[in-house]
Amino acid sequence: MAAFLVRRLLQMFLVTIVAAICSYGLLYISPGGPVDQLLGEHQNSGRNRISPADILRIKQRFELDINLPIRFSRWLTGWPSGPLFGSVGTDWPVGCAIPGQVRLRYPDGRVETVEEGCQQAVTLGDLVGRKSSRGVFFGDFGVSQVILRDRPVIDLIGTRLPYTLYLMGGSITLALLIAVPIGVYSAVKQYSRFDYTMTTIAFIGSSLPSFVFGIFAILIFSILAKQAGLPFLPSGDAVGTRDYIIPVLGSIQAGSLFDRFLRFLMPCGVLTFISLAGWSRFVRGSMLEVLSQDYVRTARAKGVKERTVILKHALRNSLIPFVTLLAGVLASLFGGALVTESVFNWPGLGRLYIDALSRSDYNVANALLLINVVLLLIGILITDILYTVVDPRIRLG
Amino acid sequence: MATSTTAIPTDEPKTTAPESQLSIVLRRFRKHRIAMFCVGLLGVMLLLSALAPLIAPFPRDQPNLKARFLTPFSVDPAGKLHIFGTDHLGRDSATRLLFASRVSLGTAVFSTLISSLIGIVLGMLAGFFGGWVDAIISRTLEVVATFPTLSLLLIVVSIFVGNEKNIPFPTILTKTISFLFAVSEREAKLVLMVNLILALFGWTTTCRLMRGMVLSVRENVYIDSARALGASNLRLLARHIFPNALPPMIVDFTLGINGTLVSESVLSFLGFGITDPTPTWGNMLGYAQSYMFQYPWMPLIPSLPILLASVAINYIGDGLRDALDPRQKI
Repeated sequence: MAAFLVRRLLQMFLVTIVAAICSYGLLYISPGGPVDQLLGEHQNSGRNRISPADILRIKQRFELDINLPIRFSRWLTGWPSGPLFGSVGTDWPVGCAIPGQVRLRYPDGRVETVEEGCQQAVTLGDLVGRKSSRGVFFGDFGVSQVILRDRPVIDLIGTRLPYTLYLMGGSITLALLIAVPIGVYSAVKQYSRFDYTMTTIAFIGSSLPSFVFGIFAILIFSILAKQAGLPFLPSGDAVGTRDYIIPVLGSIQAGSLFDRFLRFLMPCGVLTFISLAGWSRFVRGSMLEVLSQDYVRTARAKGVKERTVILKHALRNSLIPFVTLLAGVLASLFGGALVTESVFNWPGLGRLYIDALSRSDYNVANALLLINVVLLLIGILITDILYTVVDPRIRLG
Repeated sequence: MATSTTAIPTDEPKTTAPESQLSIVLRRFRKHRIAMFCVGLLGVMLLLSALAPLIAPFPRDQPNLKARFLTPFSVDPAGKLHIFGTDHLGRDSATRLLFASRVSLGTAVFSTLISSLIGIVLGMLAGFFGGWVDAIISRTLEVVATFPTLSLLLIVVSIFVGNEKNIPFPTILTKTISFLFAVSEREAKLVLMVNLILALFGWTTTCRLMRGMVLSVRENVYIDSARALGASNLRLLARHIFPNALPPMIVDFTLGINGTLVSESVLSFLGFGITDPTPTWGNMLGYAQSYMFQYPWMPLIPSLPILLASVAINYIGDGLRDALDPRQKI
């Protein structure tokens, strides 16, 4: 077990590094980036044009003037933060502050200025005193570049995390509470009308994209219900900004607990439905397998009550594979929540990720992706460990 | 799909020759009523999308600011009927839906074809040769599978989309794509880009499945016999292993099409994949969502085809699974 854990943790470490390199590299090879985004947003907001000095400052602030490998190493580990060993390599160039400009004169008389070489280099010595992240490994994800400028990424994630946790916690609990009974009942009454109905619903549920459910939910419970004068649900955001009146329920104060609850219902319901479809099938399958085992027949033959057979002998054993499925949920719900959160404008992590990508806020996107990968890896590890806990026959080696 | 199932020769000469594998499968498949219905449904959708440029009542991108947000079955100021109404720019929704089905269904099939091809070839190599070939492929597979697909897909798409003009695709390729998907050559690059990216993320399941199948098939005695008779590796793979490992791949391919359809629509819905003016079901739904409070019928129009296509493909996959599995009694 110990050897297994050590090997797995080492593997996880490697995969995380690969993921970090991939995501960081991918984001930064793309043209454009935070500076262009900021420039665009500045111009659209009608403020003053940004001068070259501003661009220089912004580049310096976000380390965009340093070469990729060194920038990556600074992002990941916070090193090098200045000359090596205090004094070695003070004037080693590590990046370029102002790109050199070369005027090209074409034979036909056209003149074009292209960026080439470097007019003013950034050296290791220049890095001293720069405010930068202490390294992702030490829990510092740097500062947000566009969304909430100069605020630490970790703060941004901190404000969004509770919302994702409510949503995930609520929907997982609900889905569990509903999926297990449905699965068990379907298995016990195999090929009954109930079983067929559930099979069909689960089949359709698992084949559709989640945003279709979200949109249909909004359509039915917010828009049509409102038009019909029935009690409706508010359709977006986690907290209201204005008071509103719902038929029967009366006036709802914005920001009150009830307002939050009403807004929570729809995204939570949609996520629940999505996991419900798969999970109830899973419970049904494993329950059917257990019910055909010899010991179940033995128990029945000995005259154990059917209720006891199902709940005590069969259910407990059928949940063994299910337990391991739950560990993977940790990260997979993040992916599902990504879409659902943006449909309902829910201010969670998934929504933040999409915002970060579409507005080129790379530090935020990188941090979220890395957290997601780590969660996924932890989920896989928990799955493997849980296997040995719930089924002592399995040994890890 | 539709043509291949309806084209079964019924006037086969009555001989005692054993029934061919294909006709057994078709006979079993036809017993799955819902799947047969879905084949018809999907066939109609494919036919409509194939004929899109011919039967579309309006030009695809022509805006008409005097006829924005027309409800379905209403008439615009010029007296022309819009069956599915118009969108926020006054473009005819029926027309865009037809072209969108070409792009969406086309992407689903095309990109799944590529990813299945990659997966099958790599899976065969890994399963057949084992050793370091298997080690490399399997480790790559594990790493790729560790990444949260949707998150990474969003990153990759957000990087390449918008920069696709800088990527030198061969002209013949963009021409083919623009013909296949009924889009202009400028849009073809974007469509191709999204297709390739989706394919690059989709091969892992196929590869794992194929590797497992090859591992079990190659243990059969007939493989040893063929080898003893002097069959080369290539012949073994192509003539003996591939056909025997094929049935689960067909099911996997069908379900993969649905997976790609969903992925593409999610991307386009979030505004990352194929973007306006190229219509896809996903991006039509994306902008319909912003207007759904004033015009509740708007999201229904693109989401119904997604619903139908997705459920139909899954039922066909289900039917194929039953038909191809000889242990299953139908």
